[in-house]
Amino acid sequence: MFRLRTHSTDPVTFSFEGRRLTASRGDTIAAALLGSGVFIFRNSPVSSSPRAPFCMIGNCYECFVRVEAMGVVQACLTEITEGMKISKVSNLIDESETGIKESSKR
Amino acid sequence: MITQRPMCDVAVIGAGPAGLTAASELAESGRDVVVLDEQGAPGGQIYKGVEKVVADRPQDIGLLGKEYVAGKALTRRFRQSGAQYHPGVSVWQITSDQEPELALGLLQNGSAQMLHPKHVILATGAMERPTPFKGWTLPGVMTVGAAQTLLKSSRLLPEDDVVLAGTGPLLYLYAAQLASFGIRPQAILDTRPSMSLRAARLGLSALTACPKTMLAGMKWLWNARVRVNMVRGVHSLKAQGEDHLSSVSYETRGRRHELSTSLLLTHDGVIPNTWLSMSAGIRHHFDSAQSCWVPDIHGAGSTSRDCISIIGDGARIGGAAVAALQGERVAYEVDAYLRTQHRAMVTTESRALRRQRQLRRFLDCAFPPTADFQLPADETIVCRCEEVSAGEIRQVAARGCMGPNQGKAFTRCGMGPCMGRKCALTVSQVMADARGVSVGEIGHYRIRSPIRPITVGQLADMALVSGED
Repeated sequence: MFRLRTHSTDPVTFSFEGRRLTASRGDTIAAALLGSGVFIFRNSPVSSSPRAPFCMIGNCYECFVRVEAMGVVQACLTEITEGMKISKVSNLIDESETGIKESSKR
Repeated sequence: MITQRPMCDVAVIGAGPAGLTAASELAESGRDVVVLDEQGAPGGQIYKGVEKVVADRPQDIGLLGKEYVAGKALTRRFRQSGAQYHPGVSVWQITSDQEPELALGLLQNGSAQMLHPKHVILATGAMERPTPFKGWTLPGVMTVGAAQTLLKSSRLLPEDDVVLAGTGPLLYLYAAQLASFGIRPQAILDTRPSMSLRAARLGLSALTACPKTMLAGMKWLWNARVRVNMVRGVHSLKAQGEDHLSSVSYETRGRRHELSTSLLLTHDGVIPNTWLSMSAGIRHHFDSAQSCWVPDIHGAGSTSRDCISIIGDGARIGGAAVAALQGERVAYEVDAYLRTQHRAMVTTESRALRRQRQLRRFLDCAFPPTADFQLPADETIVCRCEEVSAGEIRQVAARGCMGPNQGKAFTRCGMGPCMGRKCALTVSQVMADARGVSVGEIGHYRIRSPIRPITVGQLADMALVSGED
């Protein structure tokens, strides 16, 4: 997809689904993940189809990821920070955060 | 955040060429201006990350092209103008004209707040026209604009197998930028029709009006044609793959072809981002020359609401030069409004603006939206969020569905997190076509605030804060 980034003058370490990865300071989460070879950001709530960033300007909401202590964010609008723990999101509502179970999907 | 000053003279939403110019003008003349930007740094999409590139990667400035360099002076002027800049702020609401006071609902770092400006300038810019085709939700399919954003802000470069598809100036510009970074895309699948006589005629007058821009554009096209395998007359695009894009297939001259690739970038021109202006109850109409919805604009940026102006690509697609010119002009209107509380209109147009209009007439005619993307095949997903196909839209239309708003109730189309941003235009077009009426008649989704997702908790926290005041 995109050329993997091999080095950075100002690296930031983070994790995605438990994998330790590095990015450049100032990158968005989306750029950090795409530059580390992560292709699938989430699965759609309707059919579980795999999704990844599409528009990169905050309009399509395809790049939703879950960040520990932040909840679900748009990866293209959120800056990566040191130690960020990122995971895939399949249901937009986090049951552990709200205590509500999402109703059955069609 | 803005806790110390919840009021201001003017709130400018968006920090591209339109917003930055208007904010600089008004702040320099002593007005109290607040700029609210969803992005992390000024420049909008066109000059995305320009300050960072100048500071950290000066060697890239030349490679990104002359058009990008213009952002340097614009952001510098803005930083010195005295306007307050708030990055990372989403505006989720503008109060309607039925409410007693003009107010904006803001969200920053997960906390919500209201701001009370006397006047609002919407400079929310453009977004890429939807390009629905079979398989466009697969990871590995993105827009050209998205890839260009990654290049500008993070220097992410595609691998050599990248395929570009569609049409529009941005696609050819991006191909030229890739060439300067030493990357040759595998192919450009060009969906542009061959140039009409009318386009050629408009091209000649555009060449006289804006020779530099036209020559730059011709260079991009030349680069695409000579250095990249450019396939003309492409239609019936399909993206294939299991969990991720593995190949692209298309038809040209009656034959189907297939290319292996892990990245397909599509583009079909840009349209105004009207979600805020529509939610504010401002009157809009369907602009048939640009095939998109635009707000009704009088003068430089006056709308059907006296306290809200709209400039830049959010008013009508005109490009960065027009956006900056409108930013200058609207400052006079806004200043007059603040002094008199009555709407004023700047009606004189500079020569530079008239020249830009000639250029735009040519671009609108030479790069029309791709027919395949406008009325996609039945099996194509139109609403990416709720996974509703063009066929389902046609079915409900055939059963008597009156328009996009009623269609939501039957299909959930347009009701996902993107709130219709990626399907509204397509749904209106498909329904209008199915019912044999114009797109203007069938209408657009009704856009209501909050136009950005906000949690009940965030709203409740805001109520608590203001209750204590």
